[in-house]
Amino acid sequence: MTQRTRNWLLLAPAGTWFLVMLIVPLSVVFIFSFGERAPSGGVVPAFTFEQYANLPARWTAFKNTMTLAPVGTLSALVIAYPLAYFLAIKANPKWKTILLVLVIVPFWTSILIRSYAWIFLLGGRGIPALLDFVGIEGVRLINTPFAVLVGIIYGYLPLMVFPIFVSLDKLDKRLLEASSDLGAKPWRTFVQITLPLSIPGIATGCMLVFILLMGEYLIPALLGGGKVFFVGNALVDLFLQSRNWAYGSAVAVTLVVVMLITVTVYMRLISRLGASREDVSIM
Amino acid sequence: MENGGYVGGTNPAGKKVIAELRGVSKRFGDVLAASELNLSIGEGEFLSFLGPSGCGKTTALRMLAGFEAPSEGDVLLDGEVVNTLDAHHRPVNMVFQQYALFPHMTVAQNIGYGLRQRRPRLPRAQIAEKVGKALDVVQLGGFESRRIWEMSGGQQQRVALARAIINEPKLLLLDEPMAALDRKLRKEMQIELQDLQRQLGITFVLVTHDQEEALSMSDRICIMRDGRIVQIGSPQQLYDRPNSRYVADFVGTSNFFDGKISDRSGELATVALDNGMSVQGKPGADLSVGQEVCISVRPEQMKLHHRHAGVDVEVHNRIFLGEHTEYLVSHETLGDFLVLSPRQSELAEGPFNVGDKATVTWEPSAALILDRN
Ligand SMILES: Nc1ncnc2c1ncn2[C@@H]1O[C@H](COP(=O)(O)OP(=O)(O)O)[C@@H](O)[C@H]1O
Ligand SMILES: [Mg+2]
Repeated sequence: MTQRTRNWLLLAPAGTWFLVMLIVPLSVVFIFSFGERAPSGGVVPAFTFEQYANLPARWTAFKNTMTLAPVGTLSALVIAYPLAYFLAIKANPKWKTILLVLVIVPFWTSILIRSYAWIFLLGGRGIPALLDFVGIEGVRLINTPFAVLVGIIYGYLPLMVFPIFVSLDKLDKRLLEASSDLGAKPWRTFVQITLPLSIPGIATGCMLVFILLMGEYLIPALLGGGKVFFVGNALVDLFLQSRNWAYGSAVAVTLVVVMLITVTVYMRLISRLGASREDVSIM
Repeated sequence: MENGGYVGGTNPAGKKVIAELRGVSKRFGDVLAASELNLSIGEGEFLSFLGPSGCGKTTALRMLAGFEAPSEGDVLLDGEVVNTLDAHHRPVNMVFQQYALFPHMTVAQNIGYGLRQRRPRLPRAQIAEKVGKALDVVQLGGFESRRIWEMSGGQQQRVALARAIINEPKLLLLDEPMAALDRKLRKEMQIELQDLQRQLGITFVLVTHDQEEALSMSDRICIMRDGRIVQIGSPQQLYDRPNSRYVADFVGTSNFFDGKISDRSGELATVALDNGMSVQGKPGADLSVGQEVCISVRPEQMKLHHRHAGVDVEVHNRIFLGEHTEYLVSHETLGDFLVLSPRQSELAEGPFNVGDKATVTWEPSAALILDRN
C-alpha cells in the first residue's frame, strides 16, 4: 500500500461523514433558499431572491445573536480564565482532578433541566423576590437579554474553562520562576509570560463557545421567553411552526455566511497576535 | 564570621561573605531534602555543590534563589536574613536546568527581559546596547531576532547564561547547566564559564553531579549526601584529605580496605584489616582505637614491583594510557584494586603482563584511615 492510498483510507471515514452530514444538507438548504414557499408548507423549486429580500423582517434575531454571542463569549472568558488559572496553577495538585471534575459535573444533566432551574431562580419567586425582601423592588430578570446572558455563560463555562486549563496546565512552571528570578513582579509575570502562553487556549475556547452560541436556540427560548430571539429560534419557528422552508433556508444560509466571515476574521486576528509563534498553529 | 559547627565551611580568608546558609533545613512533607546546611560563600568565589542525583543540591540552590523558604535556619544575602524574600527582590539570578527560556520571545527579548523589569524604566536604546554586549560575551552576536526553537542546545544554554548575567547579579546560580550538552561542547562551555566568571567577577554557585566538572571549575566544592553537607574544601583538599570514604570515593578514584584501628600513637595509626593483615596509615582526627574504619589508597600512590617485599598480587588487566599505565590487580583476600603506574617507573621496572605475579607497596602516609560511611 502506498503512502498515498493509506492517507486516503485514513481520511475516508471523516470525509464520508462530512459529505453526507454536512455538504449534502448544506447544498440542499442553499438550493431551497432560492425557492418559493409551497401553499401546504415545504418548497416549490424556483430561482428567486425573494426570500433574501425578506431577510430584514428577521433583523432582530440577527441583531440579538450578533450581540449576545460575542458578549456571552467574552463574559464566559472573563469568568473562566481566573477559574482555569486557579485550577492549573494555584490549586493543590492533589485536588486538581476533583476540582476539574466538579467543573464538568453540570454537563451530566441536560441543559434543558438546568435552564429550568434558572427560570425559577430568575423568575418572580427567585432572586427578584429576594431583592424585594431587602427593599429593592420591581426588578425583572426573566425574559430579558440579561437572563439569556446568564444562561449562556452558565451553560458554556466548562467549554471555555477546559481549553484554557489545558494550555495553562502544560505551561512550564519554571518559566514563571525564571520571570520572577529576573525581577518581574507577579503581575508582570502574568502579563508577559502566563497570558501570552495561554493564548492558544483562549483562542480555542472563544472559538468553540462563539460558534456554538451562534446556533443556540434553547437558552433564549427558555430564559428569553420569546422576547429575546436568536437566529436559531427563528429557524425553529420557520421550519417547524410556519413551515416556510424557503425563507428558513435563506435565513440559515445567511447565518452560515455571517459565521464564516466572523470566524475567518477572528482567525486572522489570532494568527496575527501569535504571528511568530509555532504553538498557536493548533487553531 | 563564626565557624562553629561548620564542616570545613570557613570562608576563604579575606573575602567578603556574600551569601550564607545557617543551619538551613528544608522539608517537603516527609522528605527532608536539605538538612542542617551551614555554608558561607565569599565574593567572587566559584563554589560547586557536588553529589548524586536527589541529594538536595537543587533544593539548596532554590533557597538561595528565593523559590523555596527554608523550614528551619536562615538564608542570608549580603548579611541580611532573606528567608521569605521573593525571588524578584533578590540580587540573584539563575540558569535553570533545562534553561527555561521564554518560547514566545526572540533571543534578544529573552536576554533583555531582566532589564525590562527595571523601574524606573531603562531607555530602549540602553537595553538594546546592553543586550548586544551580553550577546557578544556569550558569542552569539547576530542571533538577536532568532527564535528560541531555532537555536541548538549549546546556543540555548548561552542565551540562558546571557539572560542571567545581564542584571549583574551578586550571585549567579547554575543548576546543572551542562547536563544536556554533549561531551565536547561541555568541555568548551566549562572553560568559557570559568573565563566568564573571572571576567565578570560575579560569584558563581554551580550544581553538578559530575565530579570532573566540579574539580576542574571550582574554587571550593561542597560535597552533599542525603540532604547534608559532608565536606567543604578546595578540589585539592577534598582529593588529598577526604573526611570520609564517601568523599574519597566521590572525588577521584580510590582503593578501600576495611579494618579496625588496633593502635594509635603519634602520627600514624595501625589498622588490623579484616583479612588479618596489619597496615599503617594516616588517621583522620577523630578516630579512636577499636573503631571500624577503612583504608583508602589512591591508585597513583601505589607502586608495582617485580621482586620486592609488599602485598602479593596477580596482574589481571593492563590498560596503557600513554603517560600512565593502569593495572587491575588481584589479591587473594583483599580482592581487586587499581594501580596507576607512571611511564617513568614502567621504564625502570620493566612492563607487567597480564597473569604476572607482582607486589604492591605504598607509603604509610599515603594510606588514609577514614570513617567507613
Ligand atoms: N517540590 C518538591 N516536593 C517534594 N519533594 C521534593 C521537591 N523538590 C525536591 N524534592 C525531594 O527532595 C530531594 C532532593 O531533591 P533535589 O534538591 O532536586 O536533588 P538534586 O538536585 O540533588 O538531584 C529529593 O528526594 C526530591 O524528591
Ligand atoms: Mg537537581
